[in-house]
Amino acid sequence: MEITLTNLIFYGFALLTVASALVVVTVRNIVHAAFSLMVTLFGVAGLYVFLQADFLAATQVIVYVGGILVLILFGVMMTSGRLEMRIHIERGQLLLGGVITLALLMLLLTVIANTPIWKNLTDDGTALPPTTERIGELILNGPFLLPFEVVSVLLLVALIGAALISRKEVRD
Amino acid sequence: MVIPLISLILLCPLAAFAIFGLLGLAKRSFPRQDYLSTAAMLIALGCSLLLLQEVVPDPEPHTLKWLSLGSVTFSMGFYLDSVTAIMLIVVTLVSSLVHIFSMGYMHGDPRYPRFFAFLSLFSFSMLFLVVSDNLLGIYIGWELVGLCSYLLIGFWFEKDSAANACKKAFLTTRVGDVGMFIGMMMLFTKFDTLSLYGEGGIFAQAASQLNTGDMVWLSVAGVLIFCGAVGKSAQVPLHTWLPDAMEGPTPVSALIHAATMVAAGVYLTARMFPILTETSSLVIAYVGGITAIVAATIAIVRFDIKRVLAYSTVSQLGYMMLGIGAGSYVAGLFHLTTHAFFKALLFLGSGSVIHAFHAMHAHAHDDEHGHGDDDAHAHEHDGNHASEHVIGSEIPPDQDMRNMGGLRHKMPITFLTMLIATLSISGVPFIFSGFWSKDAILGGVLGRAMEWNSVHHYLLFGIALFAAGITAFYMFRLIFMTFFGEPRNQEMHDMAHESPKTMTVPLIVLAVLSFPVVNTLWFNADYVTPPEQAHLHAPEHAYVSPDSKVGEAGLPFSLFGISEAVAAEEAGHDTHGAHADDAHHGHHGPAHTIAMVLSIIVAGLGILLSWLFYHKRSLSAASVATTFRPIYNVLWHKYYFDEFYDGVLVALTVWKSRLFAQFDGTIVDGIVNGVGKVTRDFLAVFVGVFDNRIVDGLVNQVAQVTWSIGGRVRRIQTGAIQTYLFVVLAGIVLLILIFRAL
Amino acid sequence: MTLQHYLVISAILFTLGIFAVLTRRNAISILMGIELILNSCNLNFAAFSRFMTPPEDISGQVIAIFGIVLAAAEAAVFLAIILAIYREFGSIRPNEVDTLKG
Repeated sequence: MEITLTNLIFYGFALLTVASALVVVTVRNIVHAAFSLMVTLFGVAGLYVFLQADFLAATQVIVYVGGILVLILFGVMMTSGRLEMRIHIERGQLLLGGVITLALLMLLLTVIANTPIWKNLTDDGTALPPTTERIGELILNGPFLLPFEVVSVLLLVALIGAALISRKEVRD
Repeated sequence: MVIPLISLILLCPLAAFAIFGLLGLAKRSFPRQDYLSTAAMLIALGCSLLLLQEVVPDPEPHTLKWLSLGSVTFSMGFYLDSVTAIMLIVVTLVSSLVHIFSMGYMHGDPRYPRFFAFLSLFSFSMLFLVVSDNLLGIYIGWELVGLCSYLLIGFWFEKDSAANACKKAFLTTRVGDVGMFIGMMMLFTKFDTLSLYGEGGIFAQAASQLNTGDMVWLSVAGVLIFCGAVGKSAQVPLHTWLPDAMEGPTPVSALIHAATMVAAGVYLTARMFPILTETSSLVIAYVGGITAIVAATIAIVRFDIKRVLAYSTVSQLGYMMLGIGAGSYVAGLFHLTTHAFFKALLFLGSGSVIHAFHAMHAHAHDDEHGHGDDDAHAHEHDGNHASEHVIGSEIPPDQDMRNMGGLRHKMPITFLTMLIATLSISGVPFIFSGFWSKDAILGGVLGRAMEWNSVHHYLLFGIALFAAGITAFYMFRLIFMTFFGEPRNQEMHDMAHESPKTMTVPLIVLAVLSFPVVNTLWFNADYVTPPEQAHLHAPEHAYVSPDSKVGEAGLPFSLFGISEAVAAEEAGHDTHGAHADDAHHGHHGPAHTIAMVLSIIVAGLGILLSWLFYHKRSLSAASVATTFRPIYNVLWHKYYFDEFYDGVLVALTVWKSRLFAQFDGTIVDGIVNGVGKVTRDFLAVFVGVFDNRIVDGLVNQVAQVTWSIGGRVRRIQTGAIQTYLFVVLAGIVLLILIFRAL
Repeated sequence: MTLQHYLVISAILFTLGIFAVLTRRNAISILMGIELILNSCNLNFAAFSRFMTPPEDISGQVIAIFGIVLAAAEAAVFLAIILAIYREFGSIRPNEVDTLKG
């Protein structure tokens, strides 16, 4: 694998994603973790771009970074005082979690390495047409119409449910 | 017709009692129990009279299978022969009259209805006994009679003496019943049945087994069954209950003495006649003879009018037993019948006298004990009261003959009827039934003696003759003391009055019956034939039979007919001898002639002496008593029977009880306590340890283990969601690893 | 760039997310871990769609979009629950919310 600009950028994104994710799970300050998560999400969006999923990358940025992350930050603000900003971590739990996580990772990597059909699938670098139009076709006029509608209802339910759960209880 | 009639006879009194009992459950009583019971009895009497026509010579029993136990079947049934028929009439007749008499006598008693209900049950029991064809039925009736006598003797149970007397009667007869039961069981084991008549009955079997093997066991069984009769019929030595039974109301005494209780014993002995062996017959004869003389001598010195009669009954019952024991089957039953009537009459008469005094008894009672009693007592008896602790020794003033006298003007009907009965029992010749029946027995005994040339029977004849004389003496003593002479207690005398009609009518009826009326059935040889005695193989020896033609001629109770019969006898005329053995019949004529002459002589002597002592007063009873002090004392104390029972049997029983109690207390209790101690101190401790350590230990251990496991496992449920997730992941990893490895 | 590159990145993101869920003592941090897991999934969808199917077929990307929508809904409900828990317990430390502890 020769070293090209594309490759470098890809590795850069990959590194960015993994490193920032590592920061998310290790950093003590929750606000830092949130911002680090934002970097991770951007990194993933970059990887989508490499996969030539332009619409998906855009959605990732808009929804995650613009929506979910803000939501998380709101959560942080509303539940934690200043003292609570620091995430409490227990040493024994950390150790056990690390062990099981590592075991899981080794397992996954073994599976990935040992699956023959996945080995020689490489990106030849040919440009594909933009996906937005086809996704629109698939969602609004194709096989994914029903799932789309169902997910819409799901969102509505989640919205109302969240509002119901989080509102102050009215004791009557 | 036989079955319905017998059923009716039995059911009527039973129904009368049942109505009382069932209503009693509902805490009510029939408004006129007296009419009900009396009517039931009268119906039974009517049926009994109708039954007379149904009697056939050699009847079959009417039986019904009652219950089967294994291979043995008990049957219940009726047996109607001439004896049954006559007994039925006697029982129902006397019972009816007693019922009627009781309406007057018991009037105003708080338990008036109950009295009649008991009378009905009593009659039913006796009737059931009479018609039963098997020993089991007889035994049932027997015990019912005992129960009823207990209830009726103790009818006035508020009185201690009555309560004691009824217990005494019950227990004393029980002694005999045990013997009877053993005898029954002996017969049962031998013959496998308790039925008496018919094909497989005891009598048929006994007759067929006669000559095989020795008959000792049969003698023993006979004597044992006779034990029952000894108890019921108050023979020596179990006679003591009967005089004490006077504590019951007088009508009950009449019923017990005449028709039901005591008659049952004689009836049973007569029923057993076919299986009585020579030995057992002799035992019976001796017991009867001894009873006759013992009771008669005791009666001489009694002052209580009812007790004189009671001892007289015992004595007469002895006669009957003597008759049956001497083989004079018919004579014994004949005397039972005649005695039933005149003794019922005597008792009801005495009841009438007592009733006359009874009205004022209440207020006279207090001062009576003060003077009148003791004066009379002292000079005959030296004030020997101290030892008089035996039951019933206290004479109620209204029954004490020393308070009576001169009553013949006050109570003419009572006097006349009682006089007739007394003449009858005393054996005044020819026109009174008692003479014939007593003479039949005497003649029978003498006949047997002459025929067998037996010392025993000569002796028994002598005893019986002596007793006959004494009987005449004490009976006239009673009459003289009660009805003749000057009133000894003016106050009581003034109050006395003739009894109401309900009481006098039965007296008159019974007085009529004291002449040989119904009794003539016995005179008829064709009507009553004695059963063959198994051991004799010969017809009865001593059967008194005035000419059988008397009955057939329809002149049964004419003086003429009887004289003719006697004449026929004297001529040695064989009246019934178709089946008789000629060898011994030669004795009959002379035996009866001799017996008759002798009995007339002794009866006359007795009456004469009585007249001299108690009416003319030319002889002093007191001086005779003083002269023969020891004999008098023995008689006054009734041969010390009660004292003997008290001092020996009771004391022995008490001593034995103490011994057993001690045995119980020390040895039995010791063993029990020892076992208990061993159990408690060793076994229980061991078991306790086992229980505590091992059983409880196991249980606790299981609980402990469960508890601790639970305690540990509980920690898994941390409630921390992350732990759960951790476990889930670990599981996934493990699963994947495992399946990868595979 | 092969499929394995993406898969490895995805696996790392996934395990890091798991690690966060297991070890963090703050509900919001756990939510972040969950977001990481979801991202790794979406990345897998997109990668498989790119490499395993013909270029014209982009169903995997549509699924990934659905995934994002689900993540959004999940985040909203999760935060609402966190708020409710905070009101109830005064804390959002999961080890302090242990009413179900045995």
